[in-house]
Amino acid sequence: MVEVSALVKRYGSFEAVRGVSFSVGSGKVLGLLGPNGAGKTTIMKVLTGYHRPSSGRAVLDGRNVVEDPEGVKASLGYLPEGVPLYLDMTVAEYLDFVAAARGLGGKERRAARKAAIERAVDACGLSGVAGIRLERLSKGFRQRVGLAQAIVHDPAILILDEPTTGLDPNQILEIRSLIRSLGAEKTVILSTHILQEVEALCSEVIILNDGLVVAMGSAEAIGAGLQGDERLECAVKGGFDPVEALTSIRAIPNVLSAEPTQAASGETTRFAVTAGKGRGDDVAEGLFDWAAANGTKLIELKRERLSMEDIFVRLTREEPKR
Amino acid sequence: MSGALTIAKRELSAYFNSPVAYIFIVAFLLSCGTLFFFVGDFFAAGQATMRGYFSLMPFVMSVLVPALTMRLWAEERKQGTYELLLTMPLMDGQLVVGKYLAALAVVAAALALSLPVPLLASMFGRFDSGTIVAEYLGALLMASAASAIGQAVSSASKNQISAFMATVMLLLALSLMSRLTTLLSLPGWLAGLVNWVSLSYHFGSFSRGVIDTRDVAYFCVITVSCLYATARLISAGKWR
Repeated sequence: MVEVSALVKRYGSFEAVRGVSFSVGSGKVLGLLGPNGAGKTTIMKVLTGYHRPSSGRAVLDGRNVVEDPEGVKASLGYLPEGVPLYLDMTVAEYLDFVAAARGLGGKERRAARKAAIERAVDACGLSGVAGIRLERLSKGFRQRVGLAQAIVHDPAILILDEPTTGLDPNQILEIRSLIRSLGAEKTVILSTHILQEVEALCSEVIILNDGLVVAMGSAEAIGAGLQGDERLECAVKGGFDPVEALTSIRAIPNVLSAEPTQAASGETTRFAVTAGKGRGDDVAEGLFDWAAANGTKLIELKRERLSMEDIFVRLTREEPKR
Repeated sequence: MSGALTIAKRELSAYFNSPVAYIFIVAFLLSCGTLFFFVGDFFAAGQATMRGYFSLMPFVMSVLVPALTMRLWAEERKQGTYELLLTMPLMDGQLVVGKYLAALAVVAAALALSLPVPLLASMFGRFDSGTIVAEYLGALLMASAASAIGQAVSSASKNQISAFMATVMLLLALSLMSRLTTLLSLPGWLAGLVNWVSLSYHFGSFSRGVIDTRDVAYFCVITVSCLYATARLISAGKWR
């Protein structure tokens, strides 16, 4: 459980985060989305105790980042941006160091530490490179080592700053499925500017711009809130007299306009129908009934939804004011 | 303490995974050996004493210890691992003590490797073993103060070279200060103050075989206050 309220972080006179509030429970993957400089990384730095908030509260599993930074740090795993690693160490040495520093240190916990490292190595597909020095590993492997060090101590909260940057498409899919499985029981907060990642991974999304939250909720809910008039495309079997058909379609409640999208051919006729805001469902039903009443069959009905790209552009397109 | 030891272990592996520790040890032994046999004129003096060996120790350490300490924080900053380190569930004090112990351990290893010199020399005459013990204790205490000073400078630096240069200058100044009192006729209280601050003044008693609690206290105060300052500097960075 992560709760953030009225969080402000200033660097000198520069306000990187200007009053952000949100909360996310366990079993959820929260995506922080926003253009560069929106404040995603700053929020993560405050949550991990690396930077102190200028004002506001951040509480992770009941521990406040200002009052109990060590407790907060013990409960989370963190993958910083750019995946910093000690390049002089091997994968196994590095994970051993991180596990020891994250509460699995000492001789008496050696067995637990070994088991934890083995689990992280398996989960991140690192078993083949455990003895290799980090400086010799490719970017993809380094990214996986970064993820392995974040999960090695089995934290309840995972904070991942751009976890899939620099990976190839196969690696991205692997890492995403790993994050998804981790997200089933942990609280995961990740930042990204890859929009498909949000759609693929996140149960909740926060869109940030210029240090402020501009939208919050599930990806669908954010989309629905932004949706204006909705466009539906349909195809019906058989040729129609376009004028007559269009007149009867326009008579369906909530239909604002209807146009043929291509000349009627022998087999199918296509229309584009615009429905009033939030009335897409009603119009889709109306079109189905219209087809039945006119003795024809609806063979295609496609509703255009706002993609994450559209949402992102609409919410963040304004030029920053500074 | 286990947190500090985890950090110390990691730092030691960094020293020995790279040539840094080996170069340091070889340079330390070479410069001490050179000073002992040539500058100190061990053979010509005809005396079974290590005083020549230790009299120049403050200068050897002023130049060599900064080479160990310069990377302690400046390198973490440069490669971004600073963030990783500071988001581990360790207190700033544990990080600072761990790094200090690692640097001190490398100097201690070099000092231990220099032990064959007095042991061999003792075959040719009677050494005062008490003096040798005092001299080695003094060298270790000075290494401790120099490591702490070097770490404090490194924690305030973004760049290893500037950390190195600044530490060398600081340590040389602290070592050379006591010369002022012999060169200039300073008023008594000022001379006392200058001597009290000087590293080589306090090391001087050890090299004569005297273990004075005031000198021990001096090195301990320098060490502890520099470690504390380092921890404060790191904490302060989180609020910026």
